[in-house]
Amino acid sequence: MTQTTTKVLLIEDNPGDADLVRLRLVEGQSPVKVNCVSRLSDGLASLTSDTPSVVLLDLNLPDSRGAETFRRVMEHSPNVPVVILSGQDDEALAMRAVHSGVQDYLAKSNLSSKHLERAIRYAVERQALLRSLEIAQKQQLEFKNQFLSHVSHELRTPLTCIHQYVTLLLDGISGPVTPDQADHLKTVLKSVNQLHAMIRDLLEATRAESGKMRIEPRCVALGELVQQAVAMLRPTANEKNVGLEIGMDQRLPLVHADPDRVLEVMINLMDNAIKFTPPDGGVMLQASMVDADPSSVYVSISDTGRGIGPEAKALIFERLYQDPESVDNNRSGLGLGLFICREIIRLHEGRIWVSSEPGQGSTFTFTLPVYSLAKLLAPVVTYQDSLRPSFVLVRIELTPLTNPPRGNWKETWQQCLEVVRRCVYLDKDLLLPPMGTSGTTETFFIVASTDLQSSGIMTTRIREQLERVPDLKTKCTLTITTVPVEIPSAGEAVALPERVQSVADCVTRMIMATRERQQLSAGKSRRDSN
Amino acid sequence: MRRPKILVVDDDPDLVRALRLRLRANNFEVATATDGYSAIATAQKERPALIILDLGLPVGDGFVVLDRLQNNDALAGVPVIVLSARDPQSNEERALKAGAAAFFQKPADNDELMNVIRVSLGAANEQPAPWPS
Repeated sequence: MTQTTTKVLLIEDNPGDADLVRLRLVEGQSPVKVNCVSRLSDGLASLTSDTPSVVLLDLNLPDSRGAETFRRVMEHSPNVPVVILSGQDDEALAMRAVHSGVQDYLAKSNLSSKHLERAIRYAVERQALLRSLEIAQKQQLEFKNQFLSHVSHELRTPLTCIHQYVTLLLDGISGPVTPDQADHLKTVLKSVNQLHAMIRDLLEATRAESGKMRIEPRCVALGELVQQAVAMLRPTANEKNVGLEIGMDQRLPLVHADPDRVLEVMINLMDNAIKFTPPDGGVMLQASMVDADPSSVYVSISDTGRGIGPEAKALIFERLYQDPESVDNNRSGLGLGLFICREIIRLHEGRIWVSSEPGQGSTFTFTLPVYSLAKLLAPVVTYQDSLRPSFVLVRIELTPLTNPPRGNWKETWQQCLEVVRRCVYLDKDLLLPPMGTSGTTETFFIVASTDLQSSGIMTTRIREQLERVPDLKTKCTLTITTVPVEIPSAGEAVALPERVQSVADCVTRMIMATRERQQLSAGKSRRDSN
Repeated sequence: MRRPKILVVDDDPDLVRALRLRLRANNFEVATATDGYSAIATAQKERPALIILDLGLPVGDGFVVLDRLQNNDALAGVPVIVLSARDPQSNEERALKAGAAAFFQKPADNDELMNVIRVSLGAANEQPAPWPS
């Protein structure tokens, strides 16, 4: 029987030790080819150019020492088995290495060729087994995710039918129903909605697990989302006689986040808070800044419920976790809500945690990254290490003629955004990322490095180009406004980054003022139409 | 005034029946089809003002139907509302790009659905207005 040659990469800086190992390898029964290098960097290069069957690794090399050495080898080539050659003094370290995935360790002091051969053969076999196990696990996960996604789709079909017929009855379309019957039907509908929410969570959790969950971050004023979340949960809270309060820092910065997803997290956390708060208790939604972490906004939801024990606290964000002491055990859901919240926040590069003492209520807190306008503005508002002389803020508002807007509104405003993008000078104007819809009005802002007089050329061009978008005039009204950015005068002593920051602050204040005005008028038109 | 006609396309006859009842109660005339092929044939014969379309259909799925409608001069202007159990993340954008006016995932909120039907019908009937100042 012909044996395949085992390719050994020996990384060892002591020439005596290297010779000894080489000798023992050649003495063995099976054919080996040894490549010996004395530095880790050479070892890594060799791993790239000619993958060996196994790495024999000394931990203390001229360019790396201790745990760092095996960590770097395994990071570089996770699929190549590693056997450590340890001196007398570093056996504890070698043991640690085995715990972190190294296949074996051999003491250099008593190295026989039989030992060495056996260690290498087993290391190669074990690594191959681990590899196929990993592949099988991955396939299994993929299969499970496909299965869940298929199941949740199939469950929707009969659920839709139940939903349709129950609402036909409830709406009196199939004839009059008695108050008792209506009450029973409402109970059915409530269960249908719960089932629907569970199916949605199942699909969402599957997506999160397989890395297919997506977010579309925009520049978002958190205050509007807070108001929306509270408005949506007010009826649930009132029904249970739980107070709902908002505590907002008045001048919160804008955040960089997906508004729909953040709203989902707030609603989920508030819904839980209301669920676990006894009647006459209270739930508080707060958004604030923390001095120690100026790059994040902290959103917290506190309740006056029974609190969470330390054991539950450690597991509460895990998939399928359910509090064994849940008040409403028969209706506690799948235990996916907080897992989904955590995944959404993780995609925003934020953090989420809970603090609670049993009997004292709980506070769930998450962070979102502050939207840094100064960082975006710096390249366009400066020229040769100084601030450009004047800036204007151009505001383009698209207000749909109907509510809800006709056709595919998102596609329409995205098309407009593309048109506007083509009208700005990349080196001295900045089209800000979309700000999120207020009411239904979509607003784009441009910070232009020009004065009020010269900005007319740009706004005329934008208007002309937008008017060419097919059918736009049947869908919305267009308003373009230009306002100078009044920067507080600064002495020569003020550094450039601070001056850029003051432009950013000024622009932010103007944007916030626009948002407030739009919200007021959106609220007014809602009241008018009621 | 004549009641606008809506074509409901879905392979679940129970759901088709329920939608027909609801749409009639909302003052619409209703035509129905349960597969992709008869959807096109019925649309050509009945000339609906709007189509409610499922995606998972036998004999030509919803995307095939959308494509045929877009390439038929007589039917290209008819607004289509997709009502499907499929995942919006992978289907909504595709449906809208293929010419759908809106995408609803099943089960959809009835009020929202009726609202979008009315708005889509209004948009299809109106002449372009001069640009409001």
